[in-house]
Amino acid sequence: MESFFTRYRNLVVLLVILVAQIAGLAVQVRRASNGRNALDVDDQSGVRLIRLWANAIIGPPEHLIHASKLGVVGLWSDYIDLHNVREQNQDLKQTIGRLRLEQAALLEDARQGQRLQALLGFEQKYIYATVAAQVYGSSGSDRSHVFYIDKGAHEGLKPDMAVITADGIVGKVRDVFPHTAQVLAVNDPSSGAGVILETTRIRGILKGNADGQLEVVGILADQRIQPGEKVLTAGGDLVFPRGLPVGVVQKVVRDPDRDAFIDVILTPAAHLNRLDEVLVITSTEPRFPPQQQKDLAASDTLESSVSPAIRDQMKASEIMSEKLPGLIDPNLPSDQQPLRDSSNPNPAVPPPQPLHPDQFSPGAAAPAGSEPGADTAPKPHPKTPYTLPAAPSAAPGSASTAKPAANSAPQETPRRNP
Amino acid sequence: MSLLGADLRREMEIHRYPLLAYALVPLASLVLQAWLPRLTSPYDWFDFPLVVTVYFALGRRNPIQGTLMGAAMGLFEDALTHNAIGINGIAKTIVGFLAGSVGVRVEVDNQVIRLLLNFVLSLLSSAIYLFVSRFMLGLALEWSWLTELLRALGNSIIALVLFPLLDRLQIKE
Repeated sequence: MESFFTRYRNLVVLLVILVAQIAGLAVQVRRASNGRNALDVDDQSGVRLIRLWANAIIGPPEHLIHASKLGVVGLWSDYIDLHNVREQNQDLKQTIGRLRLEQAALLEDARQGQRLQALLGFEQKYIYATVAAQVYGSSGSDRSHVFYIDKGAHEGLKPDMAVITADGIVGKVRDVFPHTAQVLAVNDPSSGAGVILETTRIRGILKGNADGQLEVVGILADQRIQPGEKVLTAGGDLVFPRGLPVGVVQKVVRDPDRDAFIDVILTPAAHLNRLDEVLVITSTEPRFPPQQQKDLAASDTLESSVSPAIRDQMKASEIMSEKLPGLIDPNLPSDQQPLRDSSNPNPAVPPPQPLHPDQFSPGAAAPAGSEPGADTAPKPHPKTPYTLPAAPSAAPGSASTAKPAANSAPQETPRRNP
Repeated sequence: MSLLGADLRREMEIHRYPLLAYALVPLASLVLQAWLPRLTSPYDWFDFPLVVTVYFALGRRNPIQGTLMGAAMGLFEDALTHNAIGINGIAKTIVGFLAGSVGVRVEVDNQVIRLLLNFVLSLLSSAIYLFVSRFMLGLALEWSWLTELLRALGNSIIALVLFPLLDRLQIKE
């Protein structure tokens, strides 16, 4: 037995190491719901530990090289390559002045837009909290389009946070370590994001192909898609906010697997191969600068001081509308209706009668079923009497701001006798 | 390729290196592999850890050392990606073993033989990666043999420059 191991020890060592790695691989792969095998999205603790160790060993030298490169580049650009800097400085100052004016105008527009969207009940996400990070390394393999940034859990990063640049989307945070994080680039075949073509409003799924290009898949063949059309994030993937630039249509090719579908190849908006600084979107909750926060606080204070008065008025108007008699009481005969009550010192004037009754006059509509289309005519709600809105005279001083009771039906404002 | 007899093989010089070289050269190769693609992408047709694995396995003429070094390099590479840990590990384990085994049988100081071996072992590493990913694990993997061919060429060119430099680290007896 001893001679066997001595004789074949090379092969035995090889087999032991291979079997150990195959066993390790087996626990990392799961059968997905579509019947195909896929890697576990979340690394198991052991796998995560190996990644952490590798990152801890490779990360510092990479940081060092990256910092050296930045130092050399900085030395060159800050102290040597200063040609035309003075002219550029003046141009930039002018640009800053112009942008400040534009910013002031845009800020007002943005706030107005937010108010309107809040009114419409949109769940629009806004990018307000970001963390700037430096890209210092990559996976080193073109089969895995991931890169490493110098911010991690201590800076508030979490998995699945969107990573962008000023030009467009870049990827999403995959693995978070204490001071670093791994980002899965959008051009990796395993990535995915919901996108929409800006002009044609066609939606698709963004992913990377084997060549590291961006492509939009899951689109039915459509002649309207032309090169040059912009592609934006659709916002439905719970990672990227809506409306961020993704890229521009480069060409359209047939989907090799499905005849009726096409793949749209994109030129990425962000320079995915030359990333230095990125922004990680850590929160999409609205967060305003200090001056805006002061303004909002002031407006909130004002609103809170006014709102009790408005609430009181609304409450009073509701009580009054309940106490005031309806103009038409369904329980009373027609000659005893409040409108005809001669004892009322300020009788309400009934709505004016049309000179020539037509189908639009109240009560002139034909009974339902009497003729075709009769049931399409508007009918008053049988249980809603024609009631007066809150009487202005009942709440002196507050009449102009009183609102109709919430449960009263929309109605015409009756006129009073002078 | 000059084949050698068993007796002559034993007499062949086994390359020895300072202990620091065994630690720093593989580490440097891993760091370069992780950092350089940021400058060279999308033309990152090279695999420094593979070249270093082949170099040490050939030089040491020891299949076990080649196996261990290949496994360590491959696992490190896998750990830096988001893919399963072990695919590169298996590929480079086999490459390290074969390089160490071949080193016993051929004259590895010949530069042409080294380059040829590098080219062939690079392609073999790619083939093993494809086999493990697609057939053993059943993962969906897009593949381009042209890229792998270019990578093998790139590795050969790197080996052309790197091997003579690493030879200078040898301990001369």
